[in-house]
Amino acid sequence: MLELNAGQSIEMEYGGSAKVLKVLGSGGQGIVYLVDFGGINYALKWYDVNKIKNPQAFRKNIERNINDGAPSDKFLWPKYLTKPMPDNDGFGYLMDLRPEGYDSFVDILNMYKLDVDPLTGRAKKIRVQFRSLFALITAVINIVNAFRQLHRAGKSYQDLNDGGFFINVETGDVMVCDCDNIAPDGYNFGIGGKPGYMAPEIVRGVAKPDVQTDKYSLAVVLFKLLFRGDPMEGEKVIKDICLTEKSELKHYGKETVFVFDPNNNTNRPVRGIHDNVIKFWGIYPEYIRKAFTYTFTVGINEPSKRIIENQWQKLFIRLRNEIISCQCGRTTFASSFASNQDNSAYKCQKCGAEFPTLAFSNCNYRIPVYIGKKFFACETVAGSDDFQTITGEVVENKLKKGMMGIKNLSGNTWNVKMPDGKIYKIESGRGFPIWQGLSIDFGGVTAHI
Amino acid sequence: MNDEFEKSLDFDDDPLNAMGVSRKSLVIFFLIDTSGSMKGTKMGELNTAMEELMPEIRRVGEADTDVKVAVLTFATHLAWMYPEPISIEEFEWSRLSPAGITNMGAAFEELAIRLSRNSFLSSPSLSFAPVIFLMTDGYPSDDYKRGLKKLNENSWYKHGLKVALGIGKEANDDMLAEFTGTSDTVVHAYSGGQLAQLIKKIAVTSSQIGSKSMTLSDDTTGEISFEDVSESKQKQLGEQIQEIVNSEDYPKDIPFDSGW
Repeated sequence: MLELNAGQSIEMEYGGSAKVLKVLGSGGQGIVYLVDFGGINYALKWYDVNKIKNPQAFRKNIERNINDGAPSDKFLWPKYLTKPMPDNDGFGYLMDLRPEGYDSFVDILNMYKLDVDPLTGRAKKIRVQFRSLFALITAVINIVNAFRQLHRAGKSYQDLNDGGFFINVETGDVMVCDCDNIAPDGYNFGIGGKPGYMAPEIVRGVAKPDVQTDKYSLAVVLFKLLFRGDPMEGEKVIKDICLTEKSELKHYGKETVFVFDPNNNTNRPVRGIHDNVIKFWGIYPEYIRKAFTYTFTVGINEPSKRIIENQWQKLFIRLRNEIISCQCGRTTFASSFASNQDNSAYKCQKCGAEFPTLAFSNCNYRIPVYIGKKFFACETVAGSDDFQTITGEVVENKLKKGMMGIKNLSGNTWNVKMPDGKIYKIESGRGFPIWQGLSIDFGGVTAHI
Repeated sequence: MNDEFEKSLDFDDDPLNAMGVSRKSLVIFFLIDTSGSMKGTKMGELNTAMEELMPEIRRVGEADTDVKVAVLTFATHLAWMYPEPISIEEFEWSRLSPAGITNMGAAFEELAIRLSRNSFLSSPSLSFAPVIFLMTDGYPSDDYKRGLKKLNENSWYKHGLKVALGIGKEANDDMLAEFTGTSDTVVHAYSGGQLAQLIKKIAVTSSQIGSKSMTLSDDTTGEISFEDVSESKQKQLGEQIQEIVNSEDYPKDIPFDSGW
């Protein structure tokens, strides 16, 4: 393979040249270098053409992706191609550098990263954990949304696995990397894959990666992020002790059994090994468990029945809305709190605090309110699926401790029924108390206690 | 409030309160000849290459695999560098000094005992088949066939990824191929430069292949059978090692055994 040296200049397709600064990392198909192009630092992904089946078609595909542009700002998308080398030995493309403050999906699953002392070479473990449950579920929504945008653009990711994401654990922001195998749906430029993430039909050799197989891989990624384990690794797999190639083909291809398959109990998670999965399966509400169960049972043999991204997005926006952060320090989903019969109010079993709920006209579940709860455009704006723009927040009244209210942050004026029975106009930046008879007209969407 | 009461109010329902994901295990075994003939450049290069290698392959297992290392040295006596496999993230190389004869057969028998769930492969979760990397500069002084027979009865060995590095011209490639089961994963170093480079490249390649799920090729045209995937990792390792040996940047400088 043609390796590049620091200081070497690489000519770019449309003029100019990029100067190699150092190696950033290496993968199955090539090496990533830090380069300077026109005074700006980029990452150069440099391919070994011998490891690619049809380099011309592969390069052409990247060129097409560059011209089409990224489906959303969550992708570290190819930006500029290099000129083909005269001896046709290597080529590459430039992309933006991964922004600071993002941890790899691998480190998130392991819950630590290694900090290496440059002087001694010794490594220290640093804990990697989401700052809040809100950030975790936001990351899930961001991943789902990124793939929804990609699939809407008529493309598939192909080799979705744990190496493809970086997440900001403070905010839940996501960057999708390794975008070089992304291809129009139905096309495949020769990427193999990894059992466990790949759909069973690919492992078996009877299908090629496409949008449907992406959906399976996406469900695996989401399951691993939430339940911290492998959806197909249970008793049946553990019995093999040694995971040979034959066992992988069996358990991830020919005889894939979801660990919580309601009709097949041969592969349940094993205590002492799969404790995360056992514990978290009990914590997540039923509608989330049902969606995973459907994708990993019916969806194994019927790819078209796998949960689609838009459905996942709705489920996880609901899940994020059902987080309750109690002032006693307990934060979990509403389904774990005590509730009255119609789920219109919740109570913390630990400290006794009570939480009213709001019923929105555009939403088929009630949203619990607590100090710090944020509302987004997808709740307060008709027809919106914007889960990022904050339009309101539950706050405590500064003059009267213990009094809970909602602050309008939407930029619009809301009509709110106050305790005196009259409707008030509440401009952006102002607030109103939460009380038994509260009703809010956001304009197009209404909500009431 | 007493502690018991506090505890009874502790709800274990925080979705963030997780442990790291359950990982598969991989043990990489290095079997290293420390007989007297390894003195000088050979052992110097080997020690240095191994010292530098460990930090380089620290993250090889990623989120899937917990990689451990065990080093067995053989000369007149056998010795494990540590009493049990050590996590690659914590492994520190102790420099080896050569002396004595080459009791390779005894090393094979010792390895056969340790390749067991009751011994070095005791992880309760799933394991990948071990990587076993043999390095020697000579012909066994003892009855290696007897040791090899013991190994061949061990299914961890049978499924394992085996690779052998002969150092200098005394090492016998045919004998090494008996150990690996295929000549594709037997390589030969004739010089210090080659030795250092081969140790690193082979260790990196074999631990990468060993610590991951099999790679699915993209040129299949129908349902894959269990036969198709049998020993696919060993084959993949063989191909990649041949690629390393045949590559242009493989140093062809002065052999260990000439030019003195």
